[in-house]
Amino acid sequence: MKIILGVILYIVAAPLVGGILAGIDRVLSAKLQSRVGPPLLQPFYDVLKLFEKRTMIVNRFQNAYAWCHVIFMAMTGAFFFEGGDILLAVFALTLAGIFLILGAYSSNSPYSYLGAERELVLMLAYEPMVILTMVGMYMVAQSFSFMEIAASQRPIILYLPGVFLGFLYILPMKLRKSPFDISSSHHAHQELVRGLTSDFSGSMLALIEIAHWYETTLLLGLVYLFFSFNPVVGVCAAFGTYFLGILVDNSYARLKWELAFTSAWGIALVLGGGNLAILYFIAGG
Amino acid sequence: MGKQTIIPFGPQHPVLPEPLHLDLVLEDERIVDAIPSIGYVHRGLELLVSKKEYAEYVYVAERICGICSFMHGLGYCQAVEEIMEIQVPERALFLRTIWAELSRIHSHLMWFGLAADAFGLENLFMLSWRLRESVLDIIEETSGGRVIFGACKIGGVRRDISPETLRDMCQKLEKLKGHMDRLTGVFLNDRSVGYRLKGIGVLTREDAQRLGAVGPLLRASGVDMDMRRLGYAAYERLSFEPVTENDGDCYARCAVRARELYQSIDLIAQAVSMMPDGEVDTKVLGAPKGECFMRLEQPRGEVLYYVRADGTRYIERFRVRTPTFTNIPSMIHCLKGCDFSDVPNVILTIDPCISCIER
Amino acid sequence: MAMEKRIEIFILTVDELVSRTRSLHDEGYRLVQICCSKVDESGKAVLELDYTFDKHYNLYNIRISIEEGAEIPSISEIFGSAFVYENEIHDLYGVSIQGISIDYRGNFYKTAMPHPFTQD
Repeated sequence: MKIILGVILYIVAAPLVGGILAGIDRVLSAKLQSRVGPPLLQPFYDVLKLFEKRTMIVNRFQNAYAWCHVIFMAMTGAFFFEGGDILLAVFALTLAGIFLILGAYSSNSPYSYLGAERELVLMLAYEPMVILTMVGMYMVAQSFSFMEIAASQRPIILYLPGVFLGFLYILPMKLRKSPFDISSSHHAHQELVRGLTSDFSGSMLALIEIAHWYETTLLLGLVYLFFSFNPVVGVCAAFGTYFLGILVDNSYARLKWELAFTSAWGIALVLGGGNLAILYFIAGG
Repeated sequence: MGKQTIIPFGPQHPVLPEPLHLDLVLEDERIVDAIPSIGYVHRGLELLVSKKEYAEYVYVAERICGICSFMHGLGYCQAVEEIMEIQVPERALFLRTIWAELSRIHSHLMWFGLAADAFGLENLFMLSWRLRESVLDIIEETSGGRVIFGACKIGGVRRDISPETLRDMCQKLEKLKGHMDRLTGVFLNDRSVGYRLKGIGVLTREDAQRLGAVGPLLRASGVDMDMRRLGYAAYERLSFEPVTENDGDCYARCAVRARELYQSIDLIAQAVSMMPDGEVDTKVLGAPKGECFMRLEQPRGEVLYYVRADGTRYIERFRVRTPTFTNIPSMIHCLKGCDFSDVPNVILTIDPCISCIER
Repeated sequence: MAMEKRIEIFILTVDELVSRTRSLHDEGYRLVQICCSKVDESGKAVLELDYTFDKHYNLYNIRISIEEGAEIPSISEIFGSAFVYENEIHDLYGVSIQGISIDYRGNFYKTAMPHPFTQD
């Protein structure tokens, strides 16, 4: 019963947190660029307005893919925060991403087609680091359960500094931020127009936006896990990471997918793999 | 060899808010061909010349383009003055030079912003356009207009600038230099910007000459050609060296424009210090008869005007060959073989101004 | 009344165009532009094509006169940049130009009607 209540709470609260974070992002970015910027709740207004717009559907599968994307994204978080297996959560997250890619592939637009291709490349780029993060957490906490990791009282960050840095590196890919807003950027000011989501409109686009809020909350939850020995430090670290993301977004040009891919794998190998190897030898020896 | 995809680029595209259409033929993410087409916003301004009196057409000429507006007016006036053999007062020539250089500064600053937007650095975009705003303020203060100056007329200029305003302007521009250091510093030294610009869209010296490139595009490929050397307006009496770079890539084009910003400020300072006193316009009588070619250096490069008049108050034929039009072959050449993600950078560093093409 | 102002311009026939262009190219000239104007010559519409070349900031002009719909040879093999002008003249004036190096076959300018600049 408690778990069901928790799941419902998560499903309602996560998009609110994600949306407010998106609002903070926009206000802060505006301040960094000396603009006035929108009000804090602008992302919510945008999504509400999108729901009122006429939805053009270019393909009958597109709708289903978008729904699957948002459902799996919500489920991922539910698994994660309700003490489920984080490994399962991460695979559900990947599945949610795959549904979005399928949705983009299903349309005929060359923009979303290329966006989907680039998203696949990005997925290949960040997935090893995500897996290494999971493995690292298991090595420290001896469990894949969120609750047990969170309750382990061990400062995971001290064991996994390299993994954490690697995770920070791939975070902009997942948050669709500069320098890795390659497949679909927030501003739609790139050669692919809006890439992945070019052919979604109206309520479907609103759903994808909400899914993105779930994703943001979830990723910050993962950051929290690194600092879970102290909830206050954990929450501060999660928000700090998000602000760092905004700062990086505003100070880097968009990179190309070749560099995104090679650098992400390089960092996963050196920082992530190196960290785990050291941990293994210390624990083993 | 991958499957070929055709990506439509423009006339409505967020990166290129200009009515140019490009069909990009892609193999995976590599461009194999680019096919341009234009004509979406053709306004018939060249035809309008036979419907307006020759002195009134200056206003139309200024509206060919919003960015090089003053230069278009200037080119038309100079062509008519050349045909009618009008001696323009010295002071007017210096004022024209100052306005022309202010146009260049504001055009280049705007370009920097668009280029930053093309590689996804919104912060830098805001910075360049904020600096541009201060140049627009100077332009408003001196000419009364922000985009369309309306300052040039046949036989001189429409209004004078007082010595105090000129002094003020020089001080403001000196201050602007400091801000520009920050802007150009990011463009020329930032690692991630360099990654997007260096070695991208290379146009060799030979190709640039063969394909008829002009302006910063040509100078970035190491060719020292600048129409200001023709000595129109007051350029004859000012000392300057055309800015050139040798690499011919997007980075070199940035560097050329960055250095031209400082050059323009320097030219304005020279013009202000040498500014003679006197009238700013002469009376124009009669009507032009004959024909002439007139060339200027716009922010985007060499522009050519052809005016043919038959002795009535209506000019028979007016043609503008804009720099963007003659840079199209180079643009297509640079696009071939580059990555799809480089397309915005390559197109932007040519600095296309399609409204100029669509007279 | 002001004097009539004339520019130095070499009037050639269509046959001489390519050979003169080639010798200009060999002398190091650069193609600045090709301009087409429709003029009335004793009641008959004639198209005048001005080829402008530049060397050391000095212009060299060639003019050929042709009738509407006539055929002329392309100079884009000699000057690589000529193809945009030739496509433009073909699309707007209906001059058929033979052997353009990159020929868009009338698709360069999007026009509502064929050859709009020859209409009255």
